[in-house]
Amino acid sequence: MRSLGILLRKELLATFGSPIGYTVAAVFLLVLGYTFSLTLFATKVANLIYIFHQMYVLTILLVPALTMRAFAEERRNDTLELLLTAPVGEIWIVLAKFLAVYGLVLAMYCGAFAYVGVLEAYGSPDWGPIGSGYLALVCHAALIVAIGLLMSSLTENQVVAAALTLGTSLMLWFADSVAYLLPVPLDSIVLNLSLIGHFRPMVTGSVFVSDIGYFVSGALLALFLTTRRLAER
Amino acid sequence: MSKRYGTTVALASLDLEIERGEVFGLLGPNGSGKTTFIRLLSGYLLPTDGHLEVCGCDAVQQSLEARRRIGYVPETAPVYGYMRVREFLAFMARLRGLSESAVRDAVDRVIAALALEPVADRLTRTLSRGFRQRTAIAQALVHDPELLILDEPANGLDPRQIIEIRLLIRGLAGRHTVLMSSHVLGEVARTADRVGILLDGRLRGVRAMADTPDLEEWFLSLA
Repeated sequence: MRSLGILLRKELLATFGSPIGYTVAAVFLLVLGYTFSLTLFATKVANLIYIFHQMYVLTILLVPALTMRAFAEERRNDTLELLLTAPVGEIWIVLAKFLAVYGLVLAMYCGAFAYVGVLEAYGSPDWGPIGSGYLALVCHAALIVAIGLLMSSLTENQVVAAALTLGTSLMLWFADSVAYLLPVPLDSIVLNLSLIGHFRPMVTGSVFVSDIGYFVSGALLALFLTTRRLAER
Repeated sequence: MSKRYGTTVALASLDLEIERGEVFGLLGPNGSGKTTFIRLLSGYLLPTDGHLEVCGCDAVQQSLEARRRIGYVPETAPVYGYMRVREFLAFMARLRGLSESAVRDAVDRVIAALALEPVADRLTRTLSRGFRQRTAIAQALVHDPELLILDEPANGLDPRQIIEIRLLIRGLAGRHTVLMSSHVLGEVARTADRVGILLDGRLRGVRAMADTPDLEEWFLSLA
């Protein structure tokens, strides 16, 4: 656990010492503020469902920019050799990188709490869907960050890592559309892989263990594969 | 031991024992397998077959314990550019298991030993090649390892820096075992106690420098 603390401190220094993190956070909050204002004036309804969907999309689009450098940069700069020849398990290296990026994404989500405050001040929002919506986003972010780390561990080119993360996330997003074209039983398997299929019920207030399990098990699988990739020598 | 990448043999049946406290020079042209051998010793790679023991620990079964006993400087002398020299050394010391109370003393010790005082509070990305190399060696020594592994330590250094690094390595002999690789005959001849010649992934010979009056001639006879 001490190794995790040491590595996490280093990752936070790298994440918050880089302009990428601030740029991504600024773009995220700017686009979200724009969308929130438009939606509120257009619908005059005190809910955040549109905003949660917007955050879902922005997470898919922006997280690759945060995760792309995780391992790709270490590999390109040869600093990965320093980490992998130090007496620490690969799992701690992966977890530290995951927690640092995940922490930044959650901090960005916290910035969006301001909208909840606006709704509370000027309307009567339904807190149930807001709570489940944030839960959906927290689960969703964990999966996308974990996929990003896995892709970054596969290459030393940051752009390739970002493209792979974006491509994989988009494939998962649209998996339900593809499912209708597939024969039984492939259709139900692919349907169950759908990102939006597990996100949508939660964001509208229906929390199922199966949906949470999808995100958590997906994230754990991606982190496991990342660890295996690092352990391949 | 051997190391293969698919069907490509990087190291073939290498059989070598390095004595405690000696400076061992691994000599060979580019692509001869020096870096592969060094990466195997450092734990960055694992052998495909055979047995590799580092400071009494099995490098595969007791990998973490073996890694605890080594200090490793890769060929490119990697550092984290966003850290200051002192910060980087403290990070590496903690990562190698030094307690918080021991970190400050260890960092001060290597900063003094490598003459890094003028740049101790500078970002590592702003360092010259010489100071960067010294910082990389300092991180490898910060936990006082039994075995120091240096991959091409004189690469990219000017003549004065090469002499300084050579003196430093010689100064470590006895207290630490040092394995250094190089493709420069003169550098190995001046620094090592024993030398091994690696050609096309095979160890062609090992000799004490004291018994090798003309390293160049010996190398050419094997090549």
